[in-house]
Amino acid sequence: MNNNTGFGAWITRPMLITFAILVSLPFWIDSVGLYQYLGVEIVIWMVYALGFNLLLGYTGLPSFGHGAYFGIGAYAFGLSQLHITESIWLGLICAILFAALGGAIVAAFLSHRRGIYYALLTIAFGQVFWFLSIKWHTVTGGEDGLLNIPRPDLNIGFASFSLSSNEALYYFVLALFVVVVIGLWRLVHSPYGTVIKAIKQNEMRTGFIGYNVWLYKWSVFTLSTALAGLAGGMFAMAQESAYPDVMSLHASGFIVMMVLIGGGMVSFWGPVIGAAVYFLARDLLGSATETWLLWYGLMFMAMVMFKPEGIAGAWQGFIKRGDASTDGDKKPVTR
Amino acid sequence: MDFLINLTPHLVNGIALGLLFALIALGFMLIVGVMEVINLAHGSLFALGGYFAMMIIGVEPGWFGPLGDWYVGLPAGARYSFALVLGPIAVGLVGMLLELCLRGTYGKDPLFGLLLTFGAAMVIEELIRIGWGSGEQFLQTPPAISGAFIWNGLIWSTYRFFAAGFSVAAIILVWLFLERTPYGAIIKAGAHDSEMVRALGINLSQLRLYVFAFGVALAALAGIIMAPIWGLRPHVGVDAVIPAFLIIVLGGVGSFVGAVIAGVLVGLTVGITGAYASEWSLMSMYLLLIVVITFRARGLFGKKSMLEN
Amino acid sequence: MSIQQAGLSKKTGPMHRAIIGIAAAMLGAYVAQVSVAAAGTGPIVIGITSDASGQYANSGASDRRGMKMAIAEFNAKGGVLGRKIEFIHIDTETTPATGSRVAERLISRDKVSFMIGAVSSGVANAISQVAQKNGVIYLNTNSSSPTESGKNCHRVKFVWDGNGANFAQAAVSNAIDSYGTKWQLVTNDYVWGHNTASATKALVEKAGGKIIGEILVPQGTRDFSSILLKIQQDKPQVVAAAVGGDDQKALRQQVAQLGMGQNPAWINNQQDWPDVYGLPTDNLFGVFGTTWYYKLDLPGVIDFVARYQNMYPDTKMKVPGNVFYNGYMATHSLLSAIEAAGTTNNHAVIKQLEQLKVSAADRMQHHDAFMNPKTHQMQQTVYLATANVGSSDKDDMFKIVSNSAPMKVADAKAEATCNLESFADTPVYEP
Repeated sequence: MNNNTGFGAWITRPMLITFAILVSLPFWIDSVGLYQYLGVEIVIWMVYALGFNLLLGYTGLPSFGHGAYFGIGAYAFGLSQLHITESIWLGLICAILFAALGGAIVAAFLSHRRGIYYALLTIAFGQVFWFLSIKWHTVTGGEDGLLNIPRPDLNIGFASFSLSSNEALYYFVLALFVVVVIGLWRLVHSPYGTVIKAIKQNEMRTGFIGYNVWLYKWSVFTLSTALAGLAGGMFAMAQESAYPDVMSLHASGFIVMMVLIGGGMVSFWGPVIGAAVYFLARDLLGSATETWLLWYGLMFMAMVMFKPEGIAGAWQGFIKRGDASTDGDKKPVTR
Repeated sequence: MDFLINLTPHLVNGIALGLLFALIALGFMLIVGVMEVINLAHGSLFALGGYFAMMIIGVEPGWFGPLGDWYVGLPAGARYSFALVLGPIAVGLVGMLLELCLRGTYGKDPLFGLLLTFGAAMVIEELIRIGWGSGEQFLQTPPAISGAFIWNGLIWSTYRFFAAGFSVAAIILVWLFLERTPYGAIIKAGAHDSEMVRALGINLSQLRLYVFAFGVALAALAGIIMAPIWGLRPHVGVDAVIPAFLIIVLGGVGSFVGAVIAGVLVGLTVGITGAYASEWSLMSMYLLLIVVITFRARGLFGKKSMLEN
Repeated sequence: MSIQQAGLSKKTGPMHRAIIGIAAAMLGAYVAQVSVAAAGTGPIVIGITSDASGQYANSGASDRRGMKMAIAEFNAKGGVLGRKIEFIHIDTETTPATGSRVAERLISRDKVSFMIGAVSSGVANAISQVAQKNGVIYLNTNSSSPTESGKNCHRVKFVWDGNGANFAQAAVSNAIDSYGTKWQLVTNDYVWGHNTASATKALVEKAGGKIIGEILVPQGTRDFSSILLKIQQDKPQVVAAAVGGDDQKALRQQVAQLGMGQNPAWINNQQDWPDVYGLPTDNLFGVFGTTWYYKLDLPGVIDFVARYQNMYPDTKMKVPGNVFYNGYMATHSLLSAIEAAGTTNNHAVIKQLEQLKVSAADRMQHHDAFMNPKTHQMQQTVYLATANVGSSDKDDMFKIVSNSAPMKVADAKAEATCNLESFADTPVYEP
């Protein structure tokens, strides 16, 4: 697998390092004072953040209502398991499709808009979905949440794995993460990726060259909501329930913060770093002090004031001097 | 006919509510319009205004020597008026600190200003919790504007009409300030052409400092006015940010008149759905926004803004 | 669950079996790890899962003080089973998704023995699901949603507050006699609101009253002016409000401004002490329910209040309220149950708690209380109260108007909807 032609375009060194760290994580996570479930959530939010950054970092479109699609994914997963049949693949496909459907409809309203009007419409639609999730409580369970969602076995034709332990679930979400990373990496380095980056630079000029800007904006939004749906579906598996809070404006704001803190505006890996830092900080601060919100807010402020390009940006600046040799563990990743 | 008789009180109530919404959006609009900063700390500063006012009204004998004792002896109305002036000034000073932090973000993607103020919102909310506890607090209003009166066979809150009237006055004063004074002219010039302002020899960073402080003080003023209606708790500001946001977009970014009209429109919509389909009352304002923005790209009276890029 | 699944798949091929083998080995290692921790005789660690931010931050803090006082009192006696009691608190942020994560963390990282604390039913559900999966006993101290001991009950979860249905039982028949039969409902448009309203509705109709309308209030409503005008136009004799959280705080302030607190008559479901403490009494409109009050004229109450003041001299809340009381009583009962069981084995402790009976004297209430083994809800005295208008003591805000024995206010629907997991489906956990 290592020496295919065009390998470099598909798999890069940072990818291998990232995958190696994440694959080995269950072996050391307890000894650094963390716990496996946290790893599951972090990887899920990494998928969510990567999809979100396609919109924010690459296309320059701010959405403050993305939690809605994450939530739709979670509910779609749960409802399909509870009312159709217990199947991971059915659940995740439902999660992706329903989130993307919601996203596609909203994107049709959004894609003629820009800047603050774009952002505000995403908030308005996000609030509508959030509101419906509470109001439609006969289906969603309202504020009590959709509970007792089964975590079905992973069936890949010839074999079946139980995902009931957090370790097993972790490797499953990690496998999906790997697929998403490779897929997105290809996408942003394809002609499609070039066009969306051009839209970020100058939307009007991109239109003049002859690209259908509306269609690109629409498709990027839909794609990113599909990934949010996938992440939401996995989140429902992890929590074995789905709650309206992930759809709230607050939760939608946190994904923006995560991506910006990590450095999504300047790096493909920004969202991955951001999700990890966000959850680690929250978990460590949350257990260390009751006033964690204060330190958290100060962290955001300091970040913007001193390193606005985010952690990935700061890192890029740091290693610019020379390509520091990283002693990465080059385990082939075949999961 | 019966329907009309039933509807009239709700129209009146909706307009009063709308004026309150316009007041909530006023400071937010000024900062967005002039500085193109989306101040997400608007809500926390709104709350902070209420807390400061509560402190100022609730000074107890012996806190500040003879001057304090003289002040405590004043009638409730006088202390309340003090709070209406001093509360916003105190919050304005906090705003100045925040503006200093914001300076690095000017000229960059507006997302950075938004991220920084989001962080500031958390910090201020937590500081309120540390300072005053997380419990419900109460802002005392003087007897003259408390209580209720009967009109057309229905009971109405005196305070609500005072608050609506106060909003009208505040809106007119801010408008006069912006349109009829040289300071207003400079502020508006800064909004549209910062190079021009600099060429005229006006210190732009000072201008921004004062505009931000002024906008934040207006947020605090709204917080003081709303506290007796919404109550006072550390996270009360969350309830103010979203309507403020919605109103300035509905009215069109940068349009003063637009924001006021949008505020009243939102008030009427919420008020009337509240009476006839109350379960949809909160949703109605979002649907209103979606409908308007679908047909009018820049809201009701919007002009072109840097925030569109 | 996993063990059963592994055992079921005998018909599968060698590959499959190998994979299951690996999975079983991993599981075995995991279980072994847990029981290593379990065998210890070190301190008993209680995971406190109460909110410190968000809508219920204030109630969460009060709840927490109750638990800590109970823990401190047991430690002063030398702990439980000779083991000291420690606690660790993590903020659940009034957010269910956070509740899940906190519960996972407390169990897998901090290896807690028991978990205590909730005000919001969403958070309680999230925690109890994780707790049930691991067999960790969890006490829902203060969430008053009827679904907690109904549809969403669990073998490991015990509920210590009165719920919406209990309070409605206590209030309705009295109110029809005193105020009239023409009722209007004002209902928060979410699960708790609807459950509470439907309990009220059934009771009103049974007692010969008439519901003239129901106004649904979306969660997050801050302005009730149009609703209060509508109520005036509809002219009910009694308004039964099932409005909770911050919505309720805004509502009562606006009712007070209009002076509408007496006419029409209002029935409020429950007023939590931390939500009302320090406010003017006209904010406490109508009749409302509570499970305890610090001025109940019963033996032990004065001493209890003194212990509170002694332990928390700097707290703004000078006297304990119902939320503190529930947190204290729940923790106290749990620790006593461990002592009675002679072990921290979860099945043994659950069985102790299921047959829990606490005398009126020990509960400082008017009637004996007992745990309903079918729903895991504490059956206790429910009080109705009104504002203590004209009181010279600003802490003495409530006037208790009646008390009802647990059987009279039992939530009849709970037993039919609650379906507890069997002991076999509840993993053994012995911290």
